[in-house]
Amino acid sequence: MEKIYVTGFGIITSLGAGTADTLESLHHRKSGIGPLRWLESMHSHLPCAEIPFSTDELRCMAGVPKEQMITRTSLMGIIALGEALEMAGIRSKNSLNPVLISGTTVGGMENTEKYFLRMLTPDKTYDDYILSHDCGVCTQLIADHYGGFDMLSTLSTACSSAANALIMGSDMIRTGRTSIAVVGGSECLSKFHLNGFNTLKILDKEPCRPFDDTRAGLNLGEGAAYLVLESEASVKTRGVKPLCLVAGYGNACDAYHQTASSPEGDGAVLSMTKALKEAGLEPGDIDYVNAHGTGTPNNDESEGKALMRVFGTNSVPPVSSTKSYTGHTTSAAGSVESVISILAMLNNFLPVNLNYKNPMEMLSFRPVTDEKPPRPIRNVMTNSFGFGGNDTTCIFSKI
Amino acid sequence: MKKITAYCRITDRQVILNGKEPDIAFSGEPGSSRLTEIYRYLDAGYPKFHKMDNLSKAGFLASEMVLRALDYDRETPDGSTSVVFANKSASLDDDKRFQATINPDNYYPSPSVFVYTLPNIVTGEVAIRNKIHGETSFFILEDFDAEKMHTFIEWAFSSPGINRVLCGWTEYLDNHCDVLVMMVEKESPKGMDYNILNINQLYLN
Amino acid sequence: MEELILELKKQIIEALNLEDITPDDIDTNAPLFVEGLGLDSIDALELIVLMEKNYGIKLEDPGKSKEIFKSVATMAEYIEKNRTK
Repeated sequence: MEKIYVTGFGIITSLGAGTADTLESLHHRKSGIGPLRWLESMHSHLPCAEIPFSTDELRCMAGVPKEQMITRTSLMGIIALGEALEMAGIRSKNSLNPVLISGTTVGGMENTEKYFLRMLTPDKTYDDYILSHDCGVCTQLIADHYGGFDMLSTLSTACSSAANALIMGSDMIRTGRTSIAVVGGSECLSKFHLNGFNTLKILDKEPCRPFDDTRAGLNLGEGAAYLVLESEASVKTRGVKPLCLVAGYGNACDAYHQTASSPEGDGAVLSMTKALKEAGLEPGDIDYVNAHGTGTPNNDESEGKALMRVFGTNSVPPVSSTKSYTGHTTSAAGSVESVISILAMLNNFLPVNLNYKNPMEMLSFRPVTDEKPPRPIRNVMTNSFGFGGNDTTCIFSKI
Repeated sequence: MKKITAYCRITDRQVILNGKEPDIAFSGEPGSSRLTEIYRYLDAGYPKFHKMDNLSKAGFLASEMVLRALDYDRETPDGSTSVVFANKSASLDDDKRFQATINPDNYYPSPSVFVYTLPNIVTGEVAIRNKIHGETSFFILEDFDAEKMHTFIEWAFSSPGINRVLCGWTEYLDNHCDVLVMMVEKESPKGMDYNILNINQLYLN
Repeated sequence: MEELILELKKQIIEALNLEDITPDDIDTNAPLFVEGLGLDSIDALELIVLMEKNYGIKLEDPGKSKEIFKSVATMAEYIEKNRTK
């Protein structure tokens, strides 16, 4: 099967902008979760993981002129995409014609929420923001900043969006439709989904505690991350240094409930098994699992049981959830956590699962508390499970 | 050659299953009531239907008719079927309903409404009803586009072990229903050829 | 209390979209969850919203609400004691 290489990636989350800041936070066990700074919500008591820059600051960092209408989601995307393209040695307005596949659900909603009451008045100043509300437009604004993309696609499957974007990009390379696919996602916080998750009572009023017996919910975060995927032929032609391989991936439907996971993690078992099969790997070959690990009572039990079913009760590899650092970045989680998993693999360390104290008795394994891996990290797995039972697993391998 | 082995078209004016109009007694009420009338006609015995938002109801009903026509076994877990839908309004119909519950003057956010503020939940509902464990995905397009849909349905087939894709266009906004759901099978002796021309024909007629 | 129970049944039917059910179909003392009406976790959350919206009762912890939402009877009892609307 056609090999797919990762030749670049970029990331921006509550841990900071870029892979260097991200790595530093992971090594220093520094979480990005804290009180709300930018989003004007009445739920100011809920811990969230906002990017530590205002929208104006993001605009400066992205190099987008003041007059240009743009959304926070797109600005984050532009910054993360810039780092990915730079790492892969792809210039703006290039002749390589890559495709861009981006996951988002909120899109430009954060602006629309702020300005829609003003849009209802005779004041026309904010009317244009309605044009940036759409998810597809968010992707367009990110792509147009750099130019040169052959095709754009926007995926919206909730918390598995960015992971599914990776699957789509990989499949496009495998079927010869493109030789370079830039994949990932971007999502900023909005009142709409903060209120929504709050009404589902799955937000923790404290910083989240994935895989802890006292866990009480998730913390929402915002972020963007993109990966540049390339065919072997493209890597050779461009003479670029590949960073790792996309070894395999799988998507399956849990088919249990709209928002909750099945008690034994059936969908997760299917997606992990599919990914392993496609990668031609045995469960014992996986050296680290970056779990979906939201910190909700339901997910961590369900995913924990699924991990035991796939890897064997006594042979679950090191597992951690980095949502204790970045919060749950929803549509961007799949790519944010893929980048973190790859960073862990390339730098041979295990991201520690923050805020863990109390073991979950029904699970045979405990999350990572020591950065030092028991053996060199050669293969990493990352899970992203979306509402609708949309479960995705990706595996990356060292070259 | 892949085949479209069954299809269902639901619009504001018509319901068509495999070229025929089922004899449904419509009162003439648009929107949600009309969807409930189709549900009653089907006698599906699935009270969870009433909790769904309009997009999920519409996609569910069309899928239900297609799967019934194919005598689909909904009791056995099925990992070889994928569900791939698309529309242009995403979950906007339900988004508006949810927005109304977070009005500062009448602030009671509704969890059951929020659940449906994601367009792909309809694929989840169909999967739950029919124990479908294959891949599920949802695309947002500018408008009905048979060529784009053909691309991502083909993509769904490229996954190992997938023999059937339940797919189509599930658009619902402000009492306006525009749905085409098809079952496309990798190998089947029956059905019409699966190609862009036929997808367009089913949609336009 | 009888009036409250009838009112509550109508409100539950509306809030949870139980279209095929009338107040007469709901046994006041039957379990609401798992058996009986077979409500699920999202329904439980909607009942919490119902308590606040219609009776001014704020329930923060879904876990503690299990006893209150056991049946229509237990709900009505709790409302009688704690309503602010």
